[in-house]
Amino acid sequence: MPLLTPETVKRVLHDVYGYEITDDDAQRMANAAGAMLTNSRHLNSLGLAGIEPPFGYPSLIADAVRLSAKKS
Amino acid sequence: MAHPYEELLSLDVAALAEKLRAKEISPVELTEAYLDRIARTDEKIRAYITVTGDLARKSARRAEREIVAGKWRGPFHGVPIALKDLCYTKGIRTTGGSKILADFKPEYDSTVWSRLSRAGAILLGKLNLHEFAYGISSSNPHWGIVRNPYALERIPGGSSGGSAAAIVARSAAAAIGTDTGGSIRIPAALCGCVGLKATWSRVSRYGVLPLAYTLDHVGPITRTVRDAALMLGVIAGHDRNDSTSSRERVPDYTANLDAGIGGMRIGVIRELNDGLSDDVRRSFDAALALLGSLGASVDEVSIPSLPLAGIVNGVITWAEAIEIHEEWMVTRAADYGTDVRRLLEAGMMVNAASYIRAQRSRPRILADALGALEGRDVLVAPASAIPAPRIGEGRILDSSGGTVDALTGILRFTSPFDVTGQPALAIPTGLSAERLPLAMQIIGRPFDEARVLQAGAAYERARGAMPPPPPL
Repeated sequence: MPLLTPETVKRVLHDVYGYEITDDDAQRMANAAGAMLTNSRHLNSLGLAGIEPPFGYPSLIADAVRLSAKKS
Repeated sequence: MAHPYEELLSLDVAALAEKLRAKEISPVELTEAYLDRIARTDEKIRAYITVTGDLARKSARRAEREIVAGKWRGPFHGVPIALKDLCYTKGIRTTGGSKILADFKPEYDSTVWSRLSRAGAILLGKLNLHEFAYGISSSNPHWGIVRNPYALERIPGGSSGGSAAAIVARSAAAAIGTDTGGSIRIPAALCGCVGLKATWSRVSRYGVLPLAYTLDHVGPITRTVRDAALMLGVIAGHDRNDSTSSRERVPDYTANLDAGIGGMRIGVIRELNDGLSDDVRRSFDAALALLGSLGASVDEVSIPSLPLAGIVNGVITWAEAIEIHEEWMVTRAADYGTDVRRLLEAGMMVNAASYIRAQRSRPRILADALGALEGRDVLVAPASAIPAPRIGEGRILDSSGGTVDALTGILRFTSPFDVTGQPALAIPTGLSAERLPLAMQIIGRPFDEARVLQAGAAYERARGAMPPPPPL
């Protein structure tokens, strides 16, 4: 399992966000984010086959209607 | 000698509504009592960020005219309340508990406030919170550390710490909070009042500063279960400005509050019935015994996927929060408190696959919870493993004598029900040996707030009055 290193964290934040952090914060983040990535893979143990992300189309339509009403 | 206003401040919303409608008390007199109470206590507990004294007095005079003229708007007419300072109030600063929004004045009201305002409620002010709702201590580096009225060296919980502290300190008759991982229920539990996180989408989130779009809930923090039911009745319902708000019918949440729980079937969640401090164990077991003595049948249930709900809540909150805060983080990171900044930085590392997997996990966890509810009316669990930690206490003793992170030790009880979106009511069960509030949660099926409140009301009646906090 690849490790998330402080160097990786610093590079991602710098290159993707233009954001700088200290070495200590990078270490802390690497630990926390590494744990998050590992733990989120454990969610597969729930058996997610056939489960959709709960992004409802009714909400999308409702927002579109509201936004187009504002325009007109 | 009792303060002249003491009697007025002791009345809950239901009692106030009766007296206001009968013109036995005046909204003007009542509002003045609360403003006086704020002036006398808030230096110590820092529940408020903004006190809207002039507006409150003006609104109270209008309410008085209307009530005298017989134009009664309902149980919140003339009742002084306060809002967590995430809720937009037109022309009144809404800081989010932050430095970044210190001078922000919204151009419109949140739906929750516009509904309460239309119901005649009087706005006392905006309540302090954990910065941007992203924490559970309410030790706010910009607006002051909120303190627990039961013990000023302890946290009130969060993020709606100011809301709960104001209720218990009697500096508001009712309050609004928000809950993403537990932020209504945790402060209610640690401060000794009632907090209701209704079903996700039951209450509009329009005009409420978000922490995590798909986990945020808006709801009441009150003295009693009846008050929570009354407040939910005002704020619940579809809102065309919030496309996610439910069209589910809003019932009369007070209709069954006196029905009792004889014959009700209550499941104790096994996965949340361990790791408790001795005080919480004793108090929770006593609460279960009381529920049984009221005629409910109580047994144990399991929600096998529940232990993973914390990961789901964490991944989703990290990802959605950084989306909201990204621009400020890139340009004004130094203006955040250290703890919030670190959480937002962590969110920068969440990948899309983890986020979507977390979202897909939610129906599975809810399915397990609904399975536990089969043949039962409600579920129960402690609201926290421990009473309120001391301010600044990062780690706490657990039941084995080791230590756990205070945040995790508390959040694991509440965050699952943000993930499932089920209604969950925090209700006090008593005091610890150190005289700190303890509480349990009553959890129901989606949109079954009425049954949750019915169970809560029955328990509350049987439990009797909570011992009050020490004088402030």
